[in-house]
Amino acid sequence: MIEIPHEPNATLDGIQKVMYAKNDQGEFERYNYGSSVEEFATQVAVEEYETLKQECLARIKQGLSSPIEYFMYDNRMDLPTLASAVGMFQWRVKRHLKMRVFQTMSDALLLRYADVFSIDLFYLKDFR
Amino acid sequence: MSQKVPTFSHSQFAHCESGVTSTLFSAYGFKISEPMAFGITSALTFVYLPFVKVNNLPLIAYRSLPKSIINTISKVLHVTMEKRSYKSEQDANEELKSFAKEGKLVGLQTSVYYLPYFPKDMRFHFNAHNLLVYGMEGEEYLISDPVFEETVKCSQEGLTKARFAKGVFAPKGFLYYPKTIPQSVDMHSAIKKAIVKNAKSMLTPFPFAGVKGMRRLAKKIESLHSETNTRYIKNYLTHIVRMQEEIGTGGGGFRFLYAAFLEEAKSYGLNAEMLTEASELIVKSGNTLREFALYCVEGSRKLEKLDTQKIASKLVEASEHEEKAFKLLKMLK
Repeated sequence: MIEIPHEPNATLDGIQKVMYAKNDQGEFERYNYGSSVEEFATQVAVEEYETLKQECLARIKQGLSSPIEYFMYDNRMDLPTLASAVGMFQWRVKRHLKMRVFQTMSDALLLRYADVFSIDLFYLKDFR
Repeated sequence: MSQKVPTFSHSQFAHCESGVTSTLFSAYGFKISEPMAFGITSALTFVYLPFVKVNNLPLIAYRSLPKSIINTISKVLHVTMEKRSYKSEQDANEELKSFAKEGKLVGLQTSVYYLPYFPKDMRFHFNAHNLLVYGMEGEEYLISDPVFEETVKCSQEGLTKARFAKGVFAPKGFLYYPKTIPQSVDMHSAIKKAIVKNAKSMLTPFPFAGVKGMRRLAKKIESLHSETNTRYIKNYLTHIVRMQEEIGTGGGGFRFLYAAFLEEAKSYGLNAEMLTEASELIVKSGNTLREFALYCVEGSRKLEKLDTQKIASKLVEASEHEEKAFKLLKMLK
């Protein structure tokens, strides 16, 4: 028997996904379902990026991390994803996540990041 | 060749790629269900690659690589597919626009993150989401997305971003539709071959895939017992659940989808008894994987009560059902 869960899942914003289960005749059909197990797993992933952002803000205040790192998490990216999006090597992007290096970056270079994050250059340069 | 699409009807499916294939092929005159599209392309799998990292977590997959259903189905059904990738966003947009204005149904590979109609919590950088474009209304594209109950709309800007997202499995504007569909296909032979192929891949000696891969992951889970970083444990366990349940389908989803395929396969003159038995075993595996997911979540909710042994043995249990099922199916006549 395949049980169909009908639990709330706030992460889907009202959408109900479908799964296959057997009907009374023993044939497979699609049914709407809601799973709190899935909800929790999604929430953990969403919250992890929030935590990373908060930790990053603290490091920015200490002059360690750059706003690029903050926006990387804000866009739910990791280093390989960001590097691929801006079209640079990972080691280079990794340097740009440091405040010390960030302060020496040209506008042209910063603009490549701003474009990927869909923000104005201003938000990178005058962060907070 | 490029006739208008005769009958297109939107449906919601368990998995985007098999769902899109079902709608697309049915509209172009080759009626095929989602489970059949999934099964006939041998799309069930298990892969655990600890050395490939996504967000610092290992790659875990419960189904074949993105695009493999679309690529395999044209081979097994002898359908000629038109497949286009683009270097220029402008070319991609112009071609899509002309298809959409014609009312021609086409499939697209996209990144979920950039699709504005997705709920915010669902938007992650997953580059292999498939959807269908069936028309235009003003400047908006009309979309049949198998995740949604109803059809949706998307702006040019959002869709372009989604089609040209960078990173792993970057779609590069990938667009596809069937060009020529054969008059008749030997389904009996295609299904049999697909099942045996899938059985072999699930029983592979390669330690990171199939039944062995499940057991390898179970060992890793057990070893989390000595891990002190609780945030990592929580992320790790829920990551497994997301790969299993949430990315694409849910509720032990891929297993139930495959079980449905095995049931459907019975009507093509294959060994029905064997298929029934295997289908029931795969359902058991699906149910076991669901319990496994529940244990993973319970473990991450209450880390002080985390019992990695209990979680790992559930996964081993699922692997045993699958081993039995695929050992049977390997012999399918």
